[in-house]
Amino acid sequence: MNFTLIGQLLIVGLASGAIYALIALGYTMVYGIIELINFAHGDIFMIGTLVAIVVIDALGAANNPPTGIALVGVILLAFIASVVVCAVLGVVIERIAYKPLRNAPRLAPLISAIGVSLILEDIGKLWKGLSPILFPQIFPNTTFYLGSISVSTIDIFVIIVAVILMVALQWFVNTTRLGRAMRAVAQDREAAALMGVNVDRVISITFLIGAGLAGAAAVIYGLKFGSTVFYIGFNLGLIAFTAAVLGGIGNLTGAMLGGLVIGLISSLVTIIPNSNDPSTHGFGLPHGGVAWVEVFIFGILILILVFRPSGLLGSHTPEKV
Amino acid sequence: MAVSTNDRWLVPARDTRMLLVKWVLALLVPLLVFNFAWQGDALINNVILGINNPAAANTTLDQLIEAAVFVVVFYVVILILAGYLVASDSGRRGMVEVWADVLVFLVVPILLINATANLILGVAVSAIVWGIYFLLRKRIPAFTRLQPQSLLDNLQVISQEQRAAIMNRARAGGFWLGASLALVWIIFDILFYVSGQLDTELLIFGVVRTIILPIAGFLLGTLGGRVALRHVLNANGESENGSRQKRERLQATSRVREEAADVVPNDLPLRSKGARNFYLLLVIVFVLFYPAIDPFLFGYGTNGRLAGYGDAGFYVILALGLNIVVGFAGLLDLGYVAFFAIGSYAWGMIGSTQLTNVLNLPPINPQVLSVLFWPMLLIGALIAAFWGVLLGAPTLRLRGDYLAIVTLGFGEIVPVFFLNLDQYTNGTNGIVGVHSPAFFGIDWSTITPVPYYYLILALIALTIFANIRLRDSRLGRAWIAIREDEIAAASSGVNLVRTKLFAFGAGAFFSGIAGVYHSAKLGQVSPDNFSFGDSVIYLAMVVIGGLGSIPGVIVGALAVYSINLFILAQLDSMATDPTNFMYGVSHFITQYIPGFTFGNIRNLVFGVILIVIMIFRPEGLIPSARRRRELHHEVNEGPEEGALDVIPTAPGFETEVHVE
Amino acid sequence: MGIDRTTVHEGQPLLDLRNVTKHFGGLAAVQDVNLQIWPGEIISIIGPNGAGKTTVFNLITGIYRVSTGDILLEGKTIVGLSPDRIVRRGITRTFQNIRLFNNMTVLENVLVGQHTQLKSSVFGALFRPPHTVHEEEEARKHAIELLEFFGPELVERQEEYVINLSYAQKRRVEIARALAAKPKLLLLDEPTAGMNEAETLEAVKYVRRLRDELGLTILLIEHKLAVTMGISDRIAVLDYGRKIAEGLPEEVRRDERVIAAYLGKPTTSERETEQQAAE
Repeated sequence: MNFTLIGQLLIVGLASGAIYALIALGYTMVYGIIELINFAHGDIFMIGTLVAIVVIDALGAANNPPTGIALVGVILLAFIASVVVCAVLGVVIERIAYKPLRNAPRLAPLISAIGVSLILEDIGKLWKGLSPILFPQIFPNTTFYLGSISVSTIDIFVIIVAVILMVALQWFVNTTRLGRAMRAVAQDREAAALMGVNVDRVISITFLIGAGLAGAAAVIYGLKFGSTVFYIGFNLGLIAFTAAVLGGIGNLTGAMLGGLVIGLISSLVTIIPNSNDPSTHGFGLPHGGVAWVEVFIFGILILILVFRPSGLLGSHTPEKV
Repeated sequence: MAVSTNDRWLVPARDTRMLLVKWVLALLVPLLVFNFAWQGDALINNVILGINNPAAANTTLDQLIEAAVFVVVFYVVILILAGYLVASDSGRRGMVEVWADVLVFLVVPILLINATANLILGVAVSAIVWGIYFLLRKRIPAFTRLQPQSLLDNLQVISQEQRAAIMNRARAGGFWLGASLALVWIIFDILFYVSGQLDTELLIFGVVRTIILPIAGFLLGTLGGRVALRHVLNANGESENGSRQKRERLQATSRVREEAADVVPNDLPLRSKGARNFYLLLVIVFVLFYPAIDPFLFGYGTNGRLAGYGDAGFYVILALGLNIVVGFAGLLDLGYVAFFAIGSYAWGMIGSTQLTNVLNLPPINPQVLSVLFWPMLLIGALIAAFWGVLLGAPTLRLRGDYLAIVTLGFGEIVPVFFLNLDQYTNGTNGIVGVHSPAFFGIDWSTITPVPYYYLILALIALTIFANIRLRDSRLGRAWIAIREDEIAAASSGVNLVRTKLFAFGAGAFFSGIAGVYHSAKLGQVSPDNFSFGDSVIYLAMVVIGGLGSIPGVIVGALAVYSINLFILAQLDSMATDPTNFMYGVSHFITQYIPGFTFGNIRNLVFGVILIVIMIFRPEGLIPSARRRRELHHEVNEGPEEGALDVIPTAPGFETEVHVE
Repeated sequence: MGIDRTTVHEGQPLLDLRNVTKHFGGLAAVQDVNLQIWPGEIISIIGPNGAGKTTVFNLITGIYRVSTGDILLEGKTIVGLSPDRIVRRGITRTFQNIRLFNNMTVLENVLVGQHTQLKSSVFGALFRPPHTVHEEEEARKHAIELLEFFGPELVERQEEYVINLSYAQKRRVEIARALAAKPKLLLLDEPTAGMNEAETLEAVKYVRRLRDELGLTILLIEHKLAVTMGISDRIAVLDYGRKIAEGLPEEVRRDERVIAAYLGKPTTSERETEQQAAE
């Protein structure tokens, strides 16, 4: 086995995993607090990528990649724009499409969420068109070598940003008053209300934070992968949701762990050779592992839900956000 | 209800006069609209002309005869209906209300169908109007119905005199409708004749018609009266109709009330069960004879329309199938398109050279292939049902949202399999040359879409029949019980595993039928035809129409199909026409949003519709009686969270709760 | 175990709970419960809130799986069977919070209860062969008979949606639904909850009739002591998941431990630690 290749894929997997983790956090937070799968979450992420592109273009950075302080400034502005837009979008969506249905039978908010997802996708389509759009590659991407494995600075950047955000989230949830309120509402909404917690506000803030994280993920995704398209929200959303379930829905650490695991798996699956290729002598899968990533991830989702629905970290940590 | 024995049908008493004004006008207006706005008279005139000079008409003799039959049946039913409605009216519903109802439910659709030159589009847009009307009707006090007194108090044994009086009314209703229609018609005819637009022979026919219509009205009105009285018991306790005795055995008060809804005195004659049978009859006759009468009604474009209806038809079947899973059993299946794909590929592979290529066998004789279609309808459905059970199995213990996600995943994955296993399925290129069925040796692909139209009608009828039978059976009750409360259902003896699997299987079965039909009609199959977007559309059909309601999902399917394929496309083509007002609107928008076309915002439109419906009318356009109660009952008992309703990470979830 | 002067019973018990224990995570909701019920008895389970009474019901009816211990119906174990199989074996129940099918009529609710007694499946549903039609007719007749057990009122309202009924009426429909499966043992979870005095008296009457006229064995959870004292052959008392007393009503009423449990006097330090652990 080619260890360099595997090491390579691990790094790539970690980077993608970090992004999945950030998105998964949004899913798991919302589910933990109102037991709704926010179908539209992936599409909020997609909108974030578009916002970032627009900002970077507006600053003229696409054609003249800045360096030094200017670069930091541009990236920072892109972050801020994306995070703010996504966060606001998240809150608005909650107020308009989910709040009125809080007491409706479970199918109703789910269908409403599907509706929101459809709307966002078309907004993305109208805004930037049907084909994939290039994300300005302004991050200085140099490779250095750990042994024989090449590591890009962008991967390091992605991982660092994700880790910072996740740590910040953990700190927020575990130490601040608002974080405590979120955990309380997630455990028992009525009791929390009786304790004087403004449940509506807490729910809105949960959406705000979750969507904001997706916004941040959008920027680093764009910087790393270099393109976006109006329907990535759907695919990435499904993957991130699988990650959230894998880690244990409602569990923050679980979402992070799940994201990483899914990232690694999706990366490693690409090793599987193409059975159509004569050199493999029929070993592998038709068209290679690359074409079957979705199937694998989805297979994982089913396996978890059938055999261990509480996820990896579920039953041992009933603590939720 | 004042019944006077001096009532004569020719010189009615004052009460009856008012009734006549109410009903004859109510029925006359749509008839006239149909005749003159939608060229119903063209239908008849051409039939007459055609019968007299077959060479002059550009239609075949078959079509003429069918059209003639349609006309006769149509007017017969309406005259009977007139007698029925007049006889069974209790006077409780105001004239204006009845006229408003008729206007919205009959006149508007006729006008819309005429304007859009398309049956489905017209009906779909009408459905929207109906929805708005329903909403308004509740809000505007003037439209509120009077609160009816308990029918039980008024239910009485009908005496001979009363019976005679009611029959008089019926006769009067039929007669006067026939007479007024004849009168108006002949006036128009005379006007046209004088201005030179009418042939002489048509005028002669008009005179004949003026004599026939009132007489027919009289006789058919009598029939209508008899229908209205069919549930009535005689003064001596015997009923007119022997088979009613079976019902009387289980005569609970509420049952009597239900039947009384059909008997004089009647609160809702327009909507009563008896009247509904008439409407159903009219619709069935209309739909059956449609290919023959379409050329007369619209003039041109028949084949295109029929082909379109064929396509809309399989949407209806898909909606009905999904209704079993989502509407009856409450299992939110977001991957329904997978079974549609399986059905399509089933015929796609067998009905073309694909399968034989893969197996290295000589291709099947095309004539045999065409006949093979018929058993394949069943086999393809069974294959899809098998996969329905297989893919449903992992979801059995999952709760609503998770079930949705997993099924969504399947909906994504199955097309991937078809795409990637291209050594068997030809992957992205799809399969072409899929055969059409044959009937009595005629290959359908070579002639008009008419056979496909009738085929889909037959399939839809079968599907509706199956759905109704299933719903009203032990299995159907079990499904609804599961939807309402799984734990209580299991504790009442319902085997959750088997019942849910049956639901998946049954739902998939119908999508398999639709799939086989679809690939035969389209002539090809490719993985691009099946995506999550389609699953959403099917779900939208069921949700918009009304979860669990059979007429609801049919209307929902037509509405969604129209939006999907017609309305937006229409708007786009209007936008390219400089003379159309849409041109300006579209131009304005594209200045700010360059990528804008109406087709592009399809998902946006659906998304907004879904959200709006969920918030404001979650029971759908035409809800089943159950659902309306479920979602709007005054005492809002929220979802019950007993000791058994726990969430995944909390102890006591699926690892503990063990219901299979 | 408290006073246990059981009357002498012959033959094997209808229902036999042997050292039944149920853990949820670290917490034992039910611990080492032993109970035998003989045919034709009316047994009550009482105890303070959270004592595990409904959990016992859920264990018997198969909604929860027993952690350790055994439950035998007529000598055969029913542990591990799904709820619908247990219905087929002859145990049905009602729920504390009345779980009717809200969007079905009274009659339909009872018909669902007959699910195990009917045989028709997809074929029968679609084609309605004569035996299916006959079966459905008989089912409706039987359902109406069951409703008649409670008087003519429910029969008259059989086509109404249950959501329109009063609380007491809903309770009766739920019992009728449970009866439809022709059970041997009927579990009633707080059948008089939320009822006023008159309704409670009526309920007591028909519970007795269920045993006297229909030959059912009845296990009930009840909070109203007057009801339990008046109707039960024997009473079992649960507290913190354990059975602390069992016997004839007068015996149980005078039992110190029972009184302490209800009044909350901690009698042992064990109880205090358990309280802290549960928080």
